[in-house]
Amino acid sequence: MKIVVGIKQVPETDSVKIDPKTNNLERSGIQGIINPFDKNAIEAALQLRDQAGGEVVLLSMGPDSYTSSLRDGMAMGADKAVLVSSRAFGGADTLATGYTLAKAVESIGDVDLVLFGRQSVDADTGQVGPIVAEFLSVPQVTFAETVSLESENTIIAKRQLDSAVQDIKLTLPAVITVRKELNNPRYETPVNMKESFEKPITVWTEADLNLDPSQIGQAGSPTSVTNVYAPTKEVKKTTILPEDPVQAVSELLGKLD
Amino acid sequence: MSITIEQNKMLIQMIKEFTANELAPLDMDIDSRGDYPDGLFQKVVKTGLLGMTLPREYGGADFDYVAASEALEKMATGNASMAVTLEGHFKTIEQFIKYGNKALNDKYLPSASKRIFAFSMTEPSGGSNPKGIATRAIKQGSNWVITGDKIMITNGGLAEVYCVLSKTEDDQLAIFVVDKDMPGFKFGKREDFIGLKGVPVGEVVLNHVVVPDSHLLGVIGQGLEIGDNAHADARVLMGAVLAGITEHELQTAVSYAKERKAMDTPLYQLQVTQEKIADIAIAKQNIQALYQKGANDKVAGKPYAEVAAMAKSYGSRSAVAAGDKALQILGGYGYSHEYPVEHLIRDARAMELAEGTIEKMNLEITNAEIAK
Ligand SMILES: Cc1cc2nc3c(=O)[nH]c(=O)nc-3n(C[C@H](O)[C@H](O)[C@H](O)COP(=O)(O)OP(=O)(O)OC[C@H]3O[C@@H](n4cnc5c(N)ncnc54)[C@H](O)[C@@H]3O)c2cc1C
Repeated sequence: MKIVVGIKQVPETDSVKIDPKTNNLERSGIQGIINPFDKNAIEAALQLRDQAGGEVVLLSMGPDSYTSSLRDGMAMGADKAVLVSSRAFGGADTLATGYTLAKAVESIGDVDLVLFGRQSVDADTGQVGPIVAEFLSVPQVTFAETVSLESENTIIAKRQLDSAVQDIKLTLPAVITVRKELNNPRYETPVNMKESFEKPITVWTEADLNLDPSQIGQAGSPTSVTNVYAPTKEVKKTTILPEDPVQAVSELLGKLD
Repeated sequence: MSITIEQNKMLIQMIKEFTANELAPLDMDIDSRGDYPDGLFQKVVKTGLLGMTLPREYGGADFDYVAASEALEKMATGNASMAVTLEGHFKTIEQFIKYGNKALNDKYLPSASKRIFAFSMTEPSGGSNPKGIATRAIKQGSNWVITGDKIMITNGGLAEVYCVLSKTEDDQLAIFVVDKDMPGFKFGKREDFIGLKGVPVGEVVLNHVVVPDSHLLGVIGQGLEIGDNAHADARVLMGAVLAGITEHELQTAVSYAKERKAMDTPLYQLQVTQEKIADIAIAKQNIQALYQKGANDKVAGKPYAEVAAMAKSYGSRSAVAAGDKALQILGGYGYSHEYPVEHLIRDARAMELAEGTIEKMNLEITNAEIAK
C-alpha cells in the first residue's frame, strides 16, 4: 500500500497572539510543530503499513522550515517525505492548497490512500482534505474515528455523527480525514530520529508538477481575508437567583423590566 | 544549525513530551508504591529509549553523552527514578563499547535496545574498596566459573545482563558478563531504599556460573580501570539527574512561593524566601555546568573523570541542600508526602552514595589536584 499523509506545520502554542497594531499573527520565536491532528493521520498510516506492507509518504506544502516537521513525521516512522515549496504557492487559500496537494499526490503516483488530520489547529477550516479528494475525483470520508483495511482495495471507516454512527466502505484510492479519537500517536524514537536525516525529502516547485498556474498561490485563491483581529474579552455580570422558585421568578421578572 | 544539534534538539523535545505525558504524572505514585507501575518500563522500551546511546551497528541511535545527559536531566525533572534506571544501563553498555571484544559485543549489544544491562561491583563486605571483594572467577579450560554475591545493584532484578567484578585465582580483578538465564544465576533481595523508589536496587547471587572466555570484558587485571571508567560515565549522567531533581525542587518552590501568602504578601516577596530561591536556582545552574563540562569533555576525547566526580559530589550535596530549602519554603506542606519536595531530597541523597561515595569522590578529586 502506498499511503500519503498530508501534514501541516503549525505554531507550537495554541495561544498564538495577534499583534494589535498590525493584526498579523505573532509567529516570531514560536517553534513549528506538526499539526496535532496530523499525528493521528500519521499513526493510522503507520498502522496500515505495518499491517499491509508498503510505504508512508509525508506530503506538505510550505516553506523550507517545514522540513523539521517532515523529519518529525519520519522520526515517528514514515518512510519518506515530499515538500511542495516555492514562492509561487504563497498566499494559497484552502482551494489552491488542495489543488496543489492533489497535483503532488498525482505526481507521487500509484497512491492508494491519502490521510489528513480533521483540521489544522491554526486555521481550523477542515477543508483541505475534502478539496484534495474532489480534485483527485476519489471517494472520501471526513472525521473518521476508526480506519480498518477490509481487503486489498477496500477500507472501512467509522464516523460518529450526532445521532448515528456511520460505517462507510470506501474503494481505494480514497481520501480520509481523521479525528484524534482514532488513535494515540506513537512517540518519535531515537533511532528513527537519526534515520529521518538519512531518508529523502523531495522538494518540488511548480515546475515539477503538472499545474495550471492560475489555480495556485494567490491567483488560485478566491478567499480573501478582509480582517483579522483579536476578539475583545468581555466579562459579563452573572447573578445567581435564589433557590426558592417564587422568589427566583419575581427577581427574574424584575430584571426583565 | 549542524545536523547533530538538530538531532539533539529533536531528542530533547521528545524526552520532554514523553516525560510530561508518561512520567511526571506518575512521579508521586512511583514514590509511594515503591516501584514502577505495570507497563511503564515496557513503554520506555517500546519508545526505543534503551538504545539512545547504543551504536547504530547494534541497532541503537548513537546519541552521544552531551545529548544523553541532557535527556536524563529533562527526564529527571519529571521523575528521577526512570532517569537513574537509564543511567545504569547507559553507563554499562558504554563499557562494552569501550572494552568489549567483538564476539561479546556481537552477541550482547544487539539486545541492548530491548533489555537492561547492569554493572555490579558492591558486595556485602563493602563497596568503597573493590580490591576487597570476595567474588571469585576460576579458570576451567576455556571457561570461567564465577561464584559470589553482589548487592545494591541498580536495576537488579530488572536487568537481564550483568557485568560482574571478580577476582581471579591470582587475585587479579576482572569483569565478566553474566546473563540472568545462565545456570547458577539467582536474584536475591531487593533493597528497601528510602529514595529513587522506582529503581529496583537488588542482589544477584552467582553459584558456579560458567561463562566462556569471550565473556571477559577487557582483559584480566583491567577490572579496576573499567570500574573507574564506569564510575566516571555514571557520574556525568547522575550529575544530569541531579540537575533535573534540583530543577524540580526549584519549580515546586517557585510556584508555591507565588501562590502562598504570609500576611497578605506572596512568599516570594519576602527576602528570606528570595534568598532560598536564588540559592536553589544557582545550585541548579552550577550542577548543570559541571555535568555538561563532563559530557563535553568526554565527547571531545578529553579527560573527564575529575569533573564527573565534581558533578556528582557537588551535585548530590547541593540537590539535597536545595531540597531542604525548598521544603522550608513550603512550610509544613513541604514536610508532607503530599508535595514532592521530601521525596526529591531522598532521591538526591542516593547519589551521595551510589557510583562512589562523596568521600571517595573527594579523595579522587584531591588526588587529581595533587598530581597536577
Ligand atoms: C541507589 C544506589 C544504587 C547503587 N547501585 C550500585 C550498582 O549499580 N552497582 C554497584 O556495584 N553498587 C551500587 N551501589 C552501591 C554503592 O556503590 C555503595 O553503597 C558505595 O560504593 C559504598 O559502599 P558501602 O555501602 O559498602 O559503604 P562502605 O564502603 O562500607 O563505606 C562506608 C563509609 O565509609 C566511607 N569510606 C569507605 N572507604 C573509605 C576510604 N577509603 N576513605 C574515606 N572514606 C571511606 C564511605 O565513604 C562511607 O561513608 C548502589 C548504592 C545505592 C545507594
